[in-house]
Amino acid sequence: MRRSRRSTRIATAGLLLGIAILFAFPLYYLVVTSLKTKAELFAAVPSLVPQALNLAPYSSVLFGRGFTGLLVNSVIVGLSATVLAVLVAFAICYPITRLPASRRLRGFVLNWAMSLRFLPPIAVVIPYFAIIRTIGLYNELPALILVYTIFNLPLAIWMLRGFLDEIPLELEQAALVDGASRWQAFRSVLLPLSRTAILAVVIIVFAFDWAEFLFAFILTATPQAQTFPVGVQGLVTQFEIIWNDMAAGGVIAIIIPLTLMLIARRHVMTGLTFGVIREK
Amino acid sequence: MNVAPSRSMTVGARVAMRTGWSRRTRQERLVYKLLLPVFGTVFVLATIPFVMAVIEALTAGSRGFVGFDNFATALSNPLLFESIKQTALYAAIALPVEILGGLGVALLVHRVVRSAALRAAIYVLAMIPIVIPQIAVGVVFRLVYQPDYGILNVLLGRTGADQLLWLSSPPLAMIATASVDIWQWTPFVYLVLFAGLQTVPSESVEAAQVDGASSWMQFRHIELPYLRPLLLLVLFFRLADVVRVFDHVYVLTGGGPGTTTQYLSLYIYRIGFQFSDLSQASALAVVVMAAMTIFYTIISRFLPADRG
Repeated sequence: MRRSRRSTRIATAGLLLGIAILFAFPLYYLVVTSLKTKAELFAAVPSLVPQALNLAPYSSVLFGRGFTGLLVNSVIVGLSATVLAVLVAFAICYPITRLPASRRLRGFVLNWAMSLRFLPPIAVVIPYFAIIRTIGLYNELPALILVYTIFNLPLAIWMLRGFLDEIPLELEQAALVDGASRWQAFRSVLLPLSRTAILAVVIIVFAFDWAEFLFAFILTATPQAQTFPVGVQGLVTQFEIIWNDMAAGGVIAIIIPLTLMLIARRHVMTGLTFGVIREK
Repeated sequence: MNVAPSRSMTVGARVAMRTGWSRRTRQERLVYKLLLPVFGTVFVLATIPFVMAVIEALTAGSRGFVGFDNFATALSNPLLFESIKQTALYAAIALPVEILGGLGVALLVHRVVRSAALRAAIYVLAMIPIVIPQIAVGVVFRLVYQPDYGILNVLLGRTGADQLLWLSSPPLAMIATASVDIWQWTPFVYLVLFAGLQTVPSESVEAAQVDGASSWMQFRHIELPYLRPLLLLVLFFRLADVVRVFDHVYVLTGGGPGTTTQYLSLYIYRIGFQFSDLSQASALAVVVMAAMTIFYTIISRFLPADRG
C-alpha cells in the first residue's frame, strides 16, 4: 500500500515535470535561436544548444533595422496610456468605493467596464479607424494612446476597485472626524495606503499596453508611429524570414512584460480574472 | 490566494448604517459630481465607435444611405459562415483540452505537491505563457512548426518519420494554431482552478477521507462545487477570447491555407482592410458587437465576480 503510493507520487512528479518541459521548450528554443550566428542558421540540422553567446541578432534588430524607434514608440504609448487609464480608473473607483454610491450605480459602472472586455478588438477598431482618419490622427501616437487608455480601463477599474474595497473606510472617517476635508483625507490617508495597489495596476496595465498588436497594426503605417509588436510581426511575415533576427525580436518583445509581471506576480491573476482570484 | 466573497451590502449602505449620516443626500450628490465628468467622457468615447459603426454600416461612401444593404451583403457571404464554423472548430479543439488539462494539473499539484516553495515555482512558471505578447507567441511557434526550419520537423526527421507541413495543410494548420492557444491558456485555467482548490475547507476533505471517500468522490462531491463558478468564469472568458483570436494566427498562417484558419477576427480584418470594404466590415462589426453584448448580458448573471 505505502509502496504503491510512493510510486504513484513519483509517477505524478514525473508527469508534471514532463508537462513543464513540454511548455518550456518552445521558449528555450526561441532564446537559443536568437543567439545563433548566420553560419549556424544554415546548418543542415539546427542545434538545440547555444554554440556561443552571439548577440549580433539583437543589435541587428535594434540598430540595423532601426527597431529602437519602435521601442521608444511602445514606451511612450505604454506610459501615457497607462498613466491616463490609472488616473481615470481612480477617478471612477473613488466615488463608487469610498462614498455612499447606490448599489445600482456601482453595479452599472462595473458591469459596463467588464462588458468592454468582451468586445473583440477587430470589431472596435473598424469604426475607430474611420474616426481617427477623419480627425487626422492616423499614424500618430496620440491615436494609440487614446484607444489603449479606453480599452485597458476595464482591467484598471476592476483591479483598483478590488484594492480600494480592502482599505477600511474607518481610516478616512477618523480623519474626517478630526476635521480634515475630504481632499485632505484622500491625500493624507487613502493615497498613501493605496500606493502599492496603484503600482501593481500600473505595472499590469503597462504590460498589456506593451503587448497590444491589432490596434497598432491598423492605426499606424510607418515606423514613425508603429510599436514594437508591429515591427516583430514584420520580421515573421516577410518573404524570407531571418530566423535569428526574428527570434531576437521575439525575445525583446517578451522580456519587458515578463519582467514586469514577475515583479507584480502576486497581482497578475487578480488582474486577469477581474478580481475573482484574490491574493492574500 | 482567495476567491472574493460576495458581499451583501454596498459600501455606501454600510457607511450610512454605521454613521447614520444626516448629510447622506449631500454625500450622494458628491458621488455624481465626481463620477459624471470622468465616467461620462469615457463612456461616450467608448460608445462612439458603436454609433459610428452603425452609421457606416447603413451608408456606402458616395451612395449615401443604403439601409440594410451592407448587412445583407455581409450576412449573405458564405465565407462568413465558413469562418464562424472554423472558429467553432478551433474552440472545440482548444477549450476542452485547456479546461480538462488545467483541471487535471490543478488537482495533481493540489494533491501531490506539498512544498510551498515548489508551488510558488509552479505558479511563476505557469504565469509565463500568459504574459507573453501574442505576437511573440506567434514567433515562438513559427520556430516550432515551420516546415524546413521548425524544431518539430527536425525532431521528426531524426526519428526517420515523414516531415509534415504543419502550417500549410488544412487540418494540420488548424490543429497547429489551436495548439498554440492550448500552450498559452492551459496554464491560465490551471492557475484559476488551483486558486479555487485552495478555498476548499480542509475539514470537509478530511471528513470525507475518514469516511473512506475515493479520490473521485472527493473531487465530485467536495471540490467540484467550489470550482463550478470558476469553471464557468474560465469558460466564458475563453469563449470571448476565441472570437478575438488574431495575432498568433496572423503571423503563423495568415488565415490560410485557403480559409482553413480564417477565424472570425481574421475574416473581418480581410473584408475591412484587404478588400477595403469598410461598409461591409462595419456591418460585421455591428453584428459582432451586438452579439457579444448579448452574450455578456446572458452570462454576466453567472459570473462569480462581485458585481454590486
